[in-house]
Amino acid sequence: MKGTYLGEFQELVLLTILVLAENAYGVTIQDELGSRTGRNISRGALHTALTRLDEKGFITSEYGGATAERGGRRKRFYKVTNQGTKALEESKTLRDQLWSEVPKVALGKS
Amino acid sequence: MKDKIQTPPTFYTRLFRWFCKEDIYDELQGDLDEEFLFNTQKLGHKKARRLYQREVIKMVRPSIIKSLNTQQLPNNHTAMFKNYTLVALRNLGRNKLFSSINIIGLAISMVVGLIAIAFITEMNSYDDFHEHGSRIYRVVNTRTPLNETSDEYATTSVLTGRRLVNDFAGFEAVAPIYRGLSGDMTQGEVTITQRGIYTSNDFFKVFSFPLISGNPATALSDPYSVVLTEETAMKLYGKTDVVGEVIEYSNGDQLKVTGVAKNPPFHSHIQFDAIGSLETLITKNSTTVTSWGNMWSSYVYVLLPEGAKPENYQASLDQLAAEENAKVNHFQVAMGFEYLSDIVPGNGKYNQMYTIMPRKNVESIAILALIVVLSACFNYTNLSIARSVKRGKEVGVRKVVGARKTHLFSQFIVEAIFVAILALVIAILLFQVVRPGFLTLNPYMDRTTRLELTPVMYLYFFGFSLTIGFLAGCVPAMLMSKLKPVSILKGISTIKSSRRLDMRKVLIGLQFTLSMGFAVLVTLASKQYKFALSYDLGFDTENVLNVNVQGNDTELLKAAFLKVPEIKGVSTASMVPSTGSTNSDYARYKDPMDSTTAYTIDIDTEYLSNMGHELLVGENFRKGETKDKIIINELMAERLKIGSPAEALGQPLYYYDQSWTIIGVVRNFHHGTVNNKVEPFAFTSGRQNHSNLNLKLVSGDITSTMSKLEAAWKEVDPLHDFSATFYDDQIERTYSDISASVKTFGMLAGIAICISILGLLGMAVYTTESRLKELTIRKVLGATVSNLVLLLSKGFMPLFIISAAIAIPAAYLMFQRTIVKYAVYKINVGIWELSGGALLVIGIAFLTIGSQAAKAAKMNPAKNLRDQ
Repeated sequence: MKGTYLGEFQELVLLTILVLAENAYGVTIQDELGSRTGRNISRGALHTALTRLDEKGFITSEYGGATAERGGRRKRFYKVTNQGTKALEESKTLRDQLWSEVPKVALGKS
Repeated sequence: MKDKIQTPPTFYTRLFRWFCKEDIYDELQGDLDEEFLFNTQKLGHKKARRLYQREVIKMVRPSIIKSLNTQQLPNNHTAMFKNYTLVALRNLGRNKLFSSINIIGLAISMVVGLIAIAFITEMNSYDDFHEHGSRIYRVVNTRTPLNETSDEYATTSVLTGRRLVNDFAGFEAVAPIYRGLSGDMTQGEVTITQRGIYTSNDFFKVFSFPLISGNPATALSDPYSVVLTEETAMKLYGKTDVVGEVIEYSNGDQLKVTGVAKNPPFHSHIQFDAIGSLETLITKNSTTVTSWGNMWSSYVYVLLPEGAKPENYQASLDQLAAEENAKVNHFQVAMGFEYLSDIVPGNGKYNQMYTIMPRKNVESIAILALIVVLSACFNYTNLSIARSVKRGKEVGVRKVVGARKTHLFSQFIVEAIFVAILALVIAILLFQVVRPGFLTLNPYMDRTTRLELTPVMYLYFFGFSLTIGFLAGCVPAMLMSKLKPVSILKGISTIKSSRRLDMRKVLIGLQFTLSMGFAVLVTLASKQYKFALSYDLGFDTENVLNVNVQGNDTELLKAAFLKVPEIKGVSTASMVPSTGSTNSDYARYKDPMDSTTAYTIDIDTEYLSNMGHELLVGENFRKGETKDKIIINELMAERLKIGSPAEALGQPLYYYDQSWTIIGVVRNFHHGTVNNKVEPFAFTSGRQNHSNLNLKLVSGDITSTMSKLEAAWKEVDPLHDFSATFYDDQIERTYSDISASVKTFGMLAGIAICISILGLLGMAVYTTESRLKELTIRKVLGATVSNLVLLLSKGFMPLFIISAAIAIPAAYLMFQRTIVKYAVYKINVGIWELSGGALLVIGIAFLTIGSQAAKAAKMNPAKNLRDQ
């Protein structure tokens, strides 16, 4: 089903939110992802991914913590929902399964 | 402190603010700011700015930017549209007076607009049925006689046509047309009068006039062959299958029918009943027909090959003209191409093949229609603004409930368009009523115009009314949608700004300027028309019936008519003076160097007495002894320095290549129109054929006299119809251009006055209604009805004075520039002629205001003040 499919980038975002735990909002997610992957991730691209995840019900968000450096604007903190965790687990299981069935020969060759 | 200066790029911040969705803006801008600050500290200001810019640019994606529609609102356009229509209907119903003023005012002016649209569309549709229309050009001439100014002609010599075919390459087809196959055609017992043209086979290649029988490639090859139209064939034979038959033409030629063509469409500038082969003319009279100087009644049309440009062929024309001009010395001709679709409406060339609507007329109708329509739009705008006070609450409530500016704007536009469409329905009905009148406006009209309503026309009309609705509704819609809900709901009086009042006054002033201008123009034009008709010509035109002789023997006709008892006298002449046409030559007395242009007609012995010319000295022509006798007018004797009338008797005169003896002098009279001066004039007798017969009738029962005259005519000429016109009617027709102006301006004045009075009525009603309490209190305190009327009318006075001050000089200027531009004798324009029309308009205006004010003033004060 298209609605629950988890894209690679979306999966990374979900995991990053989990890693950041209580401090997951726009800037931190962007920085964390950027430093871990070495990719240059734009805030716009991140927003699109977050919107998609929100639509699928994998994350929720709440406002809080306005700071002076943000010009008094509030942060939007993201949290992974149970559904989101489940989707991540399903994805991991699928990969593990596939990994376990890859012949040793093939791996050695590559 | 340093942090404060280091702000993100303003432009990009603004840009982001502009395109970002409202609900996510806070979050994203916050993140951007935080990131920017972090970057500034880590990477430096410059780099941070660059990163910021890149971030903003990358924000341009569907999940972030606003959609173009106001996407946050539920998509309920249809529902709102229904609501607008409903509200519009309710409003129309609630204010029946305002609504009817609006609708009727718009409808009246729309009629003018509809006429203009139908007329212009029709004129532009001329000649567009030709298959190769985009490649057809007419060769036109500019002829410069020696020592004179040049004139432009639609005609070209037949020689040009022949040489273009024989000596110049590159034309796909060249069709020379010679006008003048006009006359009677006889087949057995049937004789009909028709007008046709002579041309060659190429005619059918250039134009799309299909043949229903006969071969277009050979039909006009031989001399004495003729192609008839279906209509002509039906008239002559009662059938269209007539190829091979022989017709007798009135000049004695036996013409063989080689084809039958479809009737030319009405909207064609080439019209014919029959097409003869040009070879017929050339065989009979080769030198005259094909001479370079004979360019008065022939046309040349060329069909250029696909993709060819006329400029590339100009050299051929120039070369041809240069070669031929070298052979003559008293004139020069230059030639050019005229595109087929530029022929109608005409641009003032002489010798058009058929009646052509001048472009000037088309343009002036368009301009006048524009003025009238705009004036009615003003009216709508005006009344709507006047009513904005009452609609203000509605606007306020709508805004509070959540309507946006664009919603309100579209609501008022929808309302205006609604009114415009209602007006259109009335206007289309009115159009049918006005149409016959417009077609008979001047002689050009009914010959060139039909004003038929086709589906396309209705489409144009609909588009027109939408435009009108939009134009009229634009300003009120803008003003209304701008109103601030707080100020409306707090108190209505606050939106009565003086600026808007001024605009209304300007609009009303404009309308009144137009009304007065037209009214003054009508007064002047109709005075001039009456003046021209009643102008004392110096001879008698009353009860004179002019009969077209139509080639019959004048003596036989005279004898026949004299048997009718109601005839007082009969005379004949070569033409009818004072109806526009003239005939002249240079005349001189003894001094060979002193000559003058003298006008002339040829008359019989009864003419002078029959027409009431006063013979000052000398005697009339005597039967049989007229050969070199001449009768002149006083002015001629004076101009040629012959001396007094008595001295002129017996003196010789050289005129029309022969010498004459003066046998009489008549009192000066007017032989032309009011556009000419009284000029030297001479009567001759027996020099020319007489084509006109003047019957002096005793006044009485015209109908019975006419039937007796017709019976007398039938005795002499059973073939042709009796054609007679009263002299006075003929003179009237001569001035048909002025009468057309009177009618046009009269109609426009009527419309303009109607519209402006309707507008004023609306304003007056509004003013009295909104000041009702004030008026009532004044009345209670002792003001009389007349005091109140004066109070209300006072404000309009300066407006009228300014309008009149602009309108009167403008109208006078227009009268001088157009209607009497060429007139030598014209009316004396006095203060009453000038101000009469304006005063009338002002009078009607004050009656309108006064009636409203009086109504309000007469009301029972208790009634108006009770609810306070």
